[in-house]
Amino acid sequence: MATLEIRDLHVKAKEESREILKGVNLKMSTGEIHAIMGPNGTGKSTLSESIMGNPNYEILQGDILIDGQSIIDLPVDQRARAGLFLAMQYPAEIPGITNAEFIRAAINSRRPEDDQMPIPEFLQKLDQTLQTLDMTQEMADRYLNEGFSGGEKKRNEILQLMMIAPKFAILDEIDSGLDIDALKVVSRGVNEMRGPQFGSLIITHYQRLLNYIQPDVVHVMMGGKIVKSGGAELAVKLEDEGYAGLRDELGLDVKLVDEE
Amino acid sequence: MTSKIQEYADIAEYAQQMQEPEWFTQLRVAARQKIPELVLPDFQKIKYRTWPINLKQELSVKHSQTADLNLETRQGNFVQVGPQLVQAKLPAEWAEKGVVVCDWPTALKEHPELVQKYFMTKATKPTENRLNAEHVANLTSGLLIYIPKNVILQAPLTTYFYQDAREKQDYVHHLLLIADENSEVSYLENTGTVGTSETTANIIEEVIACQNSKIKFASVDRLGQHTTTYLNRRGYLENDARVDWSMGMMNDGDIVGDFDSELVGTASHAEVKVVAISTGEQVQGIDTRVTNYGQHSLGNILQHGVILARSSLIFNGIGHIVHGAHGAEAQQESRVLMLSTKARGDANPILLIDDNDVIAGHAASVGRVDEQKMYYLMSRGIDKKTAERLVIRGFLGPVLSALPSKEVQQILADMIERKLVNGQNDE
Repeated sequence: MATLEIRDLHVKAKEESREILKGVNLKMSTGEIHAIMGPNGTGKSTLSESIMGNPNYEILQGDILIDGQSIIDLPVDQRARAGLFLAMQYPAEIPGITNAEFIRAAINSRRPEDDQMPIPEFLQKLDQTLQTLDMTQEMADRYLNEGFSGGEKKRNEILQLMMIAPKFAILDEIDSGLDIDALKVVSRGVNEMRGPQFGSLIITHYQRLLNYIQPDVVHVMMGGKIVKSGGAELAVKLEDEGYAGLRDELGLDVKLVDEE
Repeated sequence: MTSKIQEYADIAEYAQQMQEPEWFTQLRVAARQKIPELVLPDFQKIKYRTWPINLKQELSVKHSQTADLNLETRQGNFVQVGPQLVQAKLPAEWAEKGVVVCDWPTALKEHPELVQKYFMTKATKPTENRLNAEHVANLTSGLLIYIPKNVILQAPLTTYFYQDAREKQDYVHHLLLIADENSEVSYLENTGTVGTSETTANIIEEVIACQNSKIKFASVDRLGQHTTTYLNRRGYLENDARVDWSMGMMNDGDIVGDFDSELVGTASHAEVKVVAISTGEQVQGIDTRVTNYGQHSLGNILQHGVILARSSLIFNGIGHIVHGAHGAEAQQESRVLMLSTKARGDANPILLIDDNDVIAGHAASVGRVDEQKMYYLMSRGIDKKTAERLVIRGFLGPVLSALPSKEVQQILADMIERKLVNGQNDE
C-alpha cells in the first residue's frame, strides 16, 4: 500500500501574488478513490497542478509526500516516476511523436535500461486498452493529441493512465466536455484500474461522474481549503443543495465566483 | 600565356605534377590574379568576416593516408578522403548507359567538354566573389557526375566526402553534377571530417538540371568542430527541370552556407528543404535563395533549425523574382527554435519582386520551447532532455516529412537525434 499526503499546502500562481491554496490537508492510500468537488475558482486545478509540479505554481508553505517522502523539491518527471499521474484538463499537442511511441517511452522511463518493455508485450497491452476505451488503432498511430477533439483528448489521457498504471492518478475535470457515452467509457477505464495498487483523486464540478466512478471519500473545497469531507452521499447532497447551501451551513465567509 | 602560369610557382608545380590540362591551369591563374580585387560575399545578418574562412595555403599535391581509417560509409558508391578516391563503385548497368562519376583529375583529362561547358559557367562564376576565386585557384578534390540524356537511375547514387583534418591543410572541394535532358537521379551526399586540426574548407557544389531533368539532391553535412567552412551549393535549372534539395546541416564548426537555385527555365521548379542544428559555441549561417528568371517557375524554401547551448543559427530566405518572370511563384518559411537563453537565432525573410504577375509569400519565426509541452511530456515520467528532443522532433517534423525520400528522412532523423544528444551533453 502506498500513500499520498498533502500537508497544510499553501500555493500561489507564479505570476500573481494572491494565495490560491490556503492550507490544504488530505491523505489517501492506494485502493481508495477520493473525489474533490467545489465551485469554480476555488483552487481545485491549482491543487492538482501543484501535486504534479507544474512550474507555473509556487508552493509557499506545506508539503506533499508519497509514502512519507517529500516530493516538492522533485522535478515533474521524477514525481511521475515516483508514482504520480495527472490526467490534464488541457493536454498539450505534440506533433512528431506518435501516441504509441510516446506511451512506450513513458512506460520505459520507469524501467531500467536493460529491462525495457518488449514490443510485443507493449502492443498487446495497448491493443487491449484501446478496446476498453473504444479507441481505434489509428488513434495510437496519430501524433500525440494533435488534431484530437476534446473528447478524444480525454480518452487519450485515460489510455495513458491505464498503460502507465501509476500509484496515484489525479483526474482534473476529466468529465468536462464529455458526452454521456464518452463519460461512460472514461469511467469504465478508471474502474478497471481500481484495486489495491491504485488510488485516484478525482476533481469535478458535478456529481454526475461520481455516478459512474463510486468514490470512497468526497472532499469539498471552498476558498482554497477543504471544508468538508464525507462519504459518497456528500456528493449527492451537494447536487441537491448546491455549494452555497453548504457554505451557509458551515458559516463560511467565502465568495463564490459565479455568484451574482 | 605559359609565362603567366610560371608567375605562380605553386600552381605551375601542381599542374606539372598532376599533368593537368593547361586550359584548366589557366582558369586557376586567372582566378588567382583576381583575388585581390574581389570581396567576400555578403549575407545579411551572417557575420563571418573575422573567421579564418580565406584559404591561406599554396596549392600543393596532397595525399591522404586512408589505410588506418575506419569510416562510416554504409553502402556508398563513391568515397573520397581529401582528394583521394578510396571507393568507386559505379554499377555496371549505369556505366553502360554512359553515366560518368570520376574524380577531378580524371574529369579534366577524360571529360574536358563537360567541364569546360559547365564548370562555373552557369550556376556560379569564378569571379563572383573572393571565396569562389580562391576556390578555383586551389581546387584539389571533388567529383564530376554526369547523367546522360534520357537516363533514369532507379537507385540512389551515394557519396561520402571526408575532409582530412589530421593535419592543418585547406580543403577545397568541388562537385559538378549534371543531369542532361530528360534524365533523373537521386543523389545522397554525406560530408564529414577526419582529424581535429583547425582548418578551412571551401566547398562549391554545382547542380545542373538540364531541360526536363529531375534531381533529388540530399545531403547530410557533418563537418568537424575545428573546421571553418564556406559551402556554396548552386542549382541551375533549365526548362521544366526540377531539383529537390534536402539538406541536413549537422556540422559542429562554424559554417556559412549559400544555397541558391537559379530558376532559369520556363516552369522550372526548386524545392529547398533545410534542417539545421547548432550546438556548443558554433555559428551556422544559412543563406537560401531562389531566383525566378523563367516564366511560371516555382521556388519553395522550407527551413527549420534548432539552437542549443551558446550557439547561433541564422536563416536567410531570399525569394527573388526578376522582371519578366510572369506567373512565377516564390514561397518561403524559416523557423528557428532556441533551447537555451544563451543561444542566438534569426530567421530573416527577404522578398525581392521585380515583376507584377507573380505569387510570393513568406513566414518566419524565432521561438523558445513551449513550457506547456515540456510539462506535459515530463508529467508522464520522461526526463527533460528526452522531452526536449521530442519537442524538437515535432518542430522539425514538417520539414522531415516533406522530404521526398523515406531513406533520407530516416538518415536525417538519426543524425538529428545524435547531434542533439551530443549537443545536450555539451550544455
